[in-house]
Formats: sequence, C-alpha cells, structure tokens
Amino acid sequence: MRVNIIKYARDNIDTDVIIPGQYLKVHDYAELATHAMEGLDPDFHSKVKEGDFILSGKNFGCGSSREHAPIALSHSGVKAILALSFARIFYRNSVDGAFLLPIEIDQDTYDGISEGDEIDIDISKNEIKNITKNQTYKMKPFSEIIGKIIAAGGLFKYQPDQD
Amino acid sequence: MGKTLFEKIWESHIVVEKQNEPDLIYIDRHLVHEVTSPQAFDGLRMNNRKVRRPDLTIATMDHNVSTTDRSLPILDQTSAVQIKTLENNCKDFGIKLFDIHSPNQGIVHVIGPQLGITLPGSTIVCGDSHTSTHGAFGALALGIGTSEVEHVLASQTLWLEKPKTFEVRVEGKRSNPHAVTAKDIILSIIKNIGTAGGTGTVIEYRGEGITDLSMDQRMTICNMSIEGGARAGLIAPDQKTFDYLRGREYTPKNYELLVDSWKDTLKTDSDAIFDKQFILDINDIAPQVSWGTNPGMTCDVNESIPSPDDFSNGDANQKKGAEKALEYMALESGTMIEDIKIDRVFIGSCTNARLDDLIEASKIVQGQKVASNVSAMVVPGSQMVKKQAEEMGLDKIFIDANFEWREAGCSMCLGMNSDILSPGERCASTSNRNFEGRQGNGGRTHLVSPVMAAAAAIHGHFVDVRKLDLN
Repeated sequence: MRVNIIKYARDNIDTDVIIPGQYLKVHDYAELATHAMEGLDPDFHSKVKEGDFILSGKNFGCGSSREHAPIALSHSGVKAILALSFARIFYRNSVDGAFLLPIEIDQDTYDGISEGDEIDIDISKNEIKNITKNQTYKMKPFSEIIGKIIAAGGLFKYQPDQD
Repeated sequence: MGKTLFEKIWESHIVVEKQNEPDLIYIDRHLVHEVTSPQAFDGLRMNNRKVRRPDLTIATMDHNVSTTDRSLPILDQTSAVQIKTLENNCKDFGIKLFDIHSPNQGIVHVIGPQLGITLPGSTIVCGDSHTSTHGAFGALALGIGTSEVEHVLASQTLWLEKPKTFEVRVEGKRSNPHAVTAKDIILSIIKNIGTAGGTGTVIEYRGEGITDLSMDQRMTICNMSIEGGARAGLIAPDQKTFDYLRGREYTPKNYELLVDSWKDTLKTDSDAIFDKQFILDINDIAPQVSWGTNPGMTCDVNESIPSPDDFSNGDANQKKGAEKALEYMALESGTMIEDIKIDRVFIGSCTNARLDDLIEASKIVQGQKVASNVSAMVVPGSQMVKKQAEEMGLDKIFIDANFEWREAGCSMCLGMNSDILSPGERCASTSNRNFEGRQGNGGRTHLVSPVMAAAAAIHGHFVDVRKLDLN
C-alpha cells in the first residue's frame, strides 16, 4: 500500500493532544475523528487523508489509557503510526481493537522520511520503501505475540495456538 | 535464583501459559468509571455476553462529575448522558455502583484503598492509566483501554505480555519531610529516568525513603509510575499496609489469616535480580516544580528554568520539545522558578487529594489568605476524604483563606467538567500531567506538591516551602 506521511518531529506526543479530555464524552467515532490531534495541530483534520501514516519521535501516545486516542486517529483515516518508540497502553489499545498499526522504526528511518513523502510498506518483509526518495528502510518486526493479535484482527478475535 | 514481588504476583495469577504466547492473567478486582466503560458494555450486549464476575467489579463516577452542589441537575448534557449510561449499565449487569450521591463516591483510585477493595498480592485493572496507584499496597495494578475493559468484564482475565522488572531504590532521609514530600520524590525520579524510562517494566519502589512514607504518600509515588512510562509501580506491603486496610467496609472477613500469608510471601527475595535499576538519594532533594509540558520537564524550586540546550543534552527532538514547551508555557530560560506568578491553584486529583495531602496543605494555609490575584480550589479525592477533613476542621481553614471547597472528583486534573483553566491561565496543580491543554485549552500547568501549591496560593508565586515554618 502507498501512503502519505504526516510528520510530527518531536517526542512525547501525548494522548491529551491526540484527543483532548473534553471530547471523551463523545461516543460518535466520526465526530471524535474531527477532533483528532486538535491539541497539537488544529489543521490535522483538514489535511489527513484516508490511509495516511503519522511519523513521530519517542514515546508516542504517552499518558492516558483513553482508547479514544487510537480510535480518533483511526477514524480520521490514519492506518499506522511510525515512531521511534511507543507508550505501552497506547500501543496495546491500537492493537487490541485493530485500530492502527504501531510500527517502531530506527533513527535513520525517522531522519530519512519527510512530511509528505509517499511510502510503501511490506509487513511480511518488515520493509518500508520511500518512493519519493527511492530509499528502503527496515521496520522493527512486531513481537511474535503482538503479530498474532494483529493477524487475528484484535484481542477478541485472538486465540492462542492449540496444542 | 529468587523472585521479585512482581514475578510472584504474576505467577500466582497465570491461567494459561504457553511459549511464544501472551500469558492469560486472572484479574482479582476490576474498577469501572463512566468514561472508558460505555463501549465495553455495548460490546457485551452486542455479543450477548454477561459480566463474568460482577462481585469482583466495582463502579463509580469521577471523571466528568460536577464538583459543585450535587442536589442540582447536571447542566452538561453529554456528561449527564455518560453518568446515566453507567447507572444503567451497572443495573443491567448487576455491578455495585457508588453514584454521585453515595458517601463512598470519589476518584476510583482513592476509593479502592479506602474501602478495602485494594488488597496486597492481588491483580487490579481499571480503564485509567493511574490505576498504578493501587500498587502502593503491593498489588499488581494496570491501566487498560476500553477493549481490555470489555475483555475483563466478559472473562475476568486479560492476555498480557510479561513486563520486565525495574528496581527504583530511594535511599536516605528527608531533613524536612513536611516541605519535601512524596510528590517531590516521584517528580525527581521521573526527571531522572525520563517519561519513557520505565517503558515495558513494572517498577518496584524500595528503600528507606519509601518505607518511611505513609500509605497516602506511597500512593502518590505509585500513581505517577505511568508518567515514567512504566506499566505499573508497586511497593512491598508492610505493617503500615496491613494496618491501613484493617476494618474497612470491604476488607475480607478472614483478613488476619490473609495478613499472615502475605507477610511470608509478598516480598522480593534477597537474591532476586531486576532487569533495570535506578537509585535516588533523597537526603538533599528540593521541592520540585515542572516548567514544561511533560512531567520530566521539572526542576528544583530554587533553580532557574534550563535552556533547551542544557535540558536536551544534544538530542535534537528533546531540544525542540523544550523550545516548544517554553513557548507554550510563556516562559524563558533563566527565569527563577520563585519569580513565576500564578493565576490558579488546584489541590486535587488521584495523585494528591488524600487526607495526608489536605492536612499538610492546611498547615500552610491556616490563618492566611489566598493572594488577591489567585483563585484557588480544593477538590477532595473522595467524599470520605472530604468528610474526614471536615471532621478535622480543614474545610474551615481552606474556606477562611478564600479557597473553594468542592465535592469529590477528578475535576481540573483533566478538564472534563467545568473546572478548567482559561487560555493562558497559569496553574500550580497537585495533579499528574502538565500536557498542553490538559487542564483546559491553552492552560499552563505546573506540577507541584500540595504544600507547594498551598504556598503558591498564599504568595501568588512559587515559594520554596523549606523556608516556611511547617511544624
């Protein structure tokens, strides 16, 4: 799949800027999506397109356990977050409900990809291709366990391998 | 090789264990609130499932509740709907609920321990990241999202990858324990390990600096484990823990037998090895004040705000983060913390709204008045804390000083009800997160202890409470 990158070149993008507390009363996911990233980038909703990826630094999604954060991003059209590292509750929430793919990348990949770059990912090969710059990077593979939950389509669909 | 306390609790709760699979962990207590549960209950209904153990599930409303007169109707319609939804869900699924009129209502992490629901050696989950608070009792307490809330409601279990272990050893003794508090210890820890320092780990806080603390203070420490990125934080139970829980409303009937078994088992073996370690010496630590937009951006009260270069140690993103934080906070490097004037004071939240916190803050406030340019409020962590404080006359001390004295709830910690900062307002807050907009769009948060917040209210700016007579 080919997608565009929205880059936030900073660490510690927290759940309160992803979806501010005042919107945790909103139950309609489409409406929730209109407030995604509002605390950081009020233009986000107008620029995000179906299938886009967000690229960011360390500790993405730190803070609250609100599942509204990956839900708001997912319903905005975002399919994956590429980040140097993730806060664990956000990571689990993204995978549990099959909202987003949280993909860990290294510093070279982070530095190599710019806002607006068109990229193509191949999860089976753990490969990220930057079509705009004609470069290829490796993504950190999902742990075996997380890979199985993702493959199953979320926590409720996951069942351990039978003996 | 010996085992850590965390490993012992984990192993005693494994339901299913297979190589290269997550472990299925049994959950002893599930705490539910109005914000992260509605979709979970909807999911149960859609799949025609029941709550597996309603007797192990307890609900309250705390995040969006009004902290003013509760005999009045709820004005905010979306809050009213969320509150009504929890009432209906608890009724439909047979779950015990402490609603806004219950004497047991309060912030979920304050009422669990107060009611004797939080027990040593147990596993506790809640759809809230500050569930780590309950770790102060030697429980493994994890914050979870709504999908996981639904999974626990349906099965009383959770698939989990076993976290790593992290020893945070707090050594030494504070020379002025009224001025330098548990909040200053945990902010110092986060300042040092960073906001992602504990990622993927469960922290065990150990050492004299921890065992010296009261249970209320230990909860402040464990509460902010998540701000250091950890999955959970815990402290081995001791006599203080056992005494705290004795005779509470939901303390088990066979409590003394349980205590006997906990004494032998709920501790880290002397030959256990942690995956990671950090040591903090607290002999000389100062009261802490956050200056930026995450809890790691914190310095001593007698210091000046660092430059982005000094703060970042050469890391480009850290430097950019500090620059953006200073811009958002409208602060300049080199400004002395004590010269920062404030507009609002919030004493509240699951971090610092327990009885010990209010007692300590009241000592600063007694006989004083809030500065004319400041508006200040106290929001007790639970209705029980409020009642206990009122029995001690603390409400009068705060009210006489022109503090507002409110009903229990999360309030201005996360800006879900009408208790919010206006854009540009600067607040000395005893809460746990200073993220952009956390306390209201454009609001500026400085994280401090209750005594530091109280002193800032009186003086209109931050003051080093070590200079005040607190005895």
